[in-house]
Amino acid sequence: MENIKISKGFKVALAGMPDLSVIQIPEPETIAVSALDIPYIRPKLLVKENDPVKTGTPLFCDKRNKCIHYVSPGTGIVKQIIFGQRRRLVEVVIALDKNRDKKDEFIQFETLSPDDIDTVPRSKITKLLQEGGLWQCFREFPSKDTADENHEPPMIIVSLNGNDPFSPHPQVVLENEISFFEFGIKVLKQFSNRIIVTSRQDNLSSLNRLNGLKEHITHIAPDFYPAWDPGVVLYKLKRTREENRSWCISAEHLVLMGKFLLTGRYPVKRVVTVTRSNDKKPHIITRQGAPVKDLVGSLDDNSLITTGRFNGRYVEPKSHMGFFESTLTIISDNQKEELFGFIKPGLTKPTASKTFLSCLTKTPKNLDCNIHGEERACINCGYCVNICPVDLMPNFIIKALLSDDIEDALNYGLLDCCECGLCSYACPSKIELTKLLSHGIDAHYKDKE
Amino acid sequence: MHPLKKLLNSSEKYFTGSGKFNRLKPLFDATKTFLFFPSSKTRYTPFVRDSLDLKRFMSFVLISLLPVLIFGIYNTGFQAGIARGESYTFFQAFLLGSSYVLPIIIVSYAVGFFWEVLFAVIRKHKISEGFLVTGLLFPLTLPATIPLWQVAIGISFGVVIGKEVFGGTGRNFLNPALTGRAFLFFSYPVSMSGDVWMAVKNSVDGVSGATALSILAPEGEKITSALSDSGFSLSNLFLGFVPGSIGETSAFCCILGALFLIITKIANFRIIIGGIAGLIVTAIIFYLIPGGSDSWMNAGPLFHLCAGGFLFGISFMATDPVSAPGTNQGRWIFGFLIGFLTVTIRVANPAFVEGTMLAILFMNVFAPMLDHIVMKYTASKRIPNV
Ligand code: SF4
Ligand code: SF4
Repeated sequence: MENIKISKGFKVALAGMPDLSVIQIPEPETIAVSALDIPYIRPKLLVKENDPVKTGTPLFCDKRNKCIHYVSPGTGIVKQIIFGQRRRLVEVVIALDKNRDKKDEFIQFETLSPDDIDTVPRSKITKLLQEGGLWQCFREFPSKDTADENHEPPMIIVSLNGNDPFSPHPQVVLENEISFFEFGIKVLKQFSNRIIVTSRQDNLSSLNRLNGLKEHITHIAPDFYPAWDPGVVLYKLKRTREENRSWCISAEHLVLMGKFLLTGRYPVKRVVTVTRSNDKKPHIITRQGAPVKDLVGSLDDNSLITTGRFNGRYVEPKSHMGFFESTLTIISDNQKEELFGFIKPGLTKPTASKTFLSCLTKTPKNLDCNIHGEERACINCGYCVNICPVDLMPNFIIKALLSDDIEDALNYGLLDCCECGLCSYACPSKIELTKLLSHGIDAHYKDKE
Repeated sequence: MHPLKKLLNSSEKYFTGSGKFNRLKPLFDATKTFLFFPSSKTRYTPFVRDSLDLKRFMSFVLISLLPVLIFGIYNTGFQAGIARGESYTFFQAFLLGSSYVLPIIIVSYAVGFFWEVLFAVIRKHKISEGFLVTGLLFPLTLPATIPLWQVAIGISFGVVIGKEVFGGTGRNFLNPALTGRAFLFFSYPVSMSGDVWMAVKNSVDGVSGATALSILAPEGEKITSALSDSGFSLSNLFLGFVPGSIGETSAFCCILGALFLIITKIANFRIIIGGIAGLIVTAIIFYLIPGGSDSWMNAGPLFHLCAGGFLFGISFMATDPVSAPGTNQGRWIFGFLIGFLTVTIRVANPAFVEGTMLAILFMNVFAPMLDHIVMKYTASKRIPNV
């Protein structure tokens, strides 16, 4: 195991860490496949409302590559197909069939065996995964689009940790699933010669009880957000230009993949965390695509529900979890306005700067969803530079982007940005740096396509 | 609800939409957000934001200026006392000093604020907090005896030409306070330099109010002893009990402020340390060059450091992030060259007694170029990803 040296990131202790205990919630009435968390997809629907579906029935595919299916994680009927602005697909909602006694009716796919996996041609695995709705687990840098099957990735980064500091703990996710994980690693070896498995530093000790997992871990990332993000790991490991087109996959998706290829059935079990500042909630076992309201329970109106405080999306209670989402962060709204708030010592205020007394204490802090200021012109203070994990200078890059100088932006490393959100977090001028950067990356990618 | 907040809420309607004073909306917004933290919700990722905003950022610069301000007020009274041949208690000196200094500060804020509001109204943008700092920095660089109308002209020039014509805070490339000061320096040299620095109008005959930098040693004498003879001993210069601009005399208070800015990471230490290093190295080089023992060439690093406005300039003016480079390497070079130029100007051209001001303005102009070179260099070090 190698340590990855990363010095910049978000080092404030946060309140609301989920508990390692696990509960299972009752089967939801509806589930859904969301299109909102699938990158760059141009969905083509394959079902209509009221169609009956089995677990594994394709619901839509990607117009850019029609072989890539997105399948139903449950058995029932298509209750509703929800579109957003400009008829963009939002979700395909499925009412689970109550009468089958919680038993799914599966579409049976071909199975592979661990013994001869190294003789199976890559194209066959690819086809199985695409039909089975799991190819999307592979994401390709630099844009993190769904991986291109014709490209041989120079490395595949498997990340044991999710997008948020409080994403499900790998110990819970991998409990009893190690055989699938190991099979998954074997499958990866059919795609690339270099498999990187990363874990957060403080997870290591608790991973001891998972037999055999530790041998697979190749790199250890420090314990502050987003050091374990595959984008940051890639930035630290890459030595050549070609490696920019590496792939990444999360450990939980690798388990799904292994399970699917061994059993021939689309796996529906997922582990999620729901976190809130003043709470310590257990991990939750549920079905993929569960409704947000079933997971968060009742809420006071003003809180934001997001799928990651730094880089998730905003979700409504009535919507459903996406395929790539395994955590819900409830961020409360601190409506209190303070007289002369800007000059108080601020013992409890979370900050990455050194301008509140709170920076001297190690007690976990509560983050709220207020902007804490108003947008101003960039003053060149460099706070965004000092926190960017991949050594970018977001202030210079956005200036290049705003003057349409995409060449300069790219030279300054725009595509290394892992959209972690920290630059926007830290900016005292409250500039939407991450939003501008993501737009820049997307625009460049779509241009190239 | 706080009573003040109630008042603001009830008067908001006059300033928004078709209200009577809707043109003054920026002023209303500024008052409101000055008193109460605005609390809108995040709409994009990340959904959490740091507690630090620009208001607090700028307030911290003001806090760092408190030592020089308080000492400056006291010293003004103290120097006036010497000129009048009287000796005052601390309290008396402070009161007398206030009567000179406070009007200058008030004029600076009032006139500068007028321009800020005017431009905010015309451009329909928010009033930037940057002016909080400019409005105090500018008076601190002035001699206490300056006529108030000159203060008004100076701050107007600084705000309008130094900042607003470029588009306001964040888009200016010169430090507005220094721009204003330089303008006054070149337009009204008599009140800005030379021998009339003293904070007293009915000056007693025979008391010269020269500043340390305008001293030249008589034939055969060393500059350092000439300085000591005129009351500019190193310890006086360090503590600041000498005539000079209101805020610039005390090296000690400047260092206090600089430390505060460095510890809170409001100012970038690279500029300050780089500047001091540049000054010391250059001063030593000049010191080692034979000859010129009667001029500032031979003053050595410590006198260069403590005399004039160098420490004030490098701590509070050069560290203005907007007009300084944004890259770390750029900041080192920027600071170092300011130190170098300060000494060079002092030695080469005694007519410009204050080299720091010109050095900083000069380097402000070159800051974008330094950044450009550094960015090109660092970009070439990255593994290309295009
Ligand atoms: S530029 Fe901003 S969003 Fe991108 S990696 Fe750096 S800090 Fe994160
Ligand atoms: S943190 Fe914000 S204000 Fe500071 S340099 Fe970056 S973009 Fe500019």
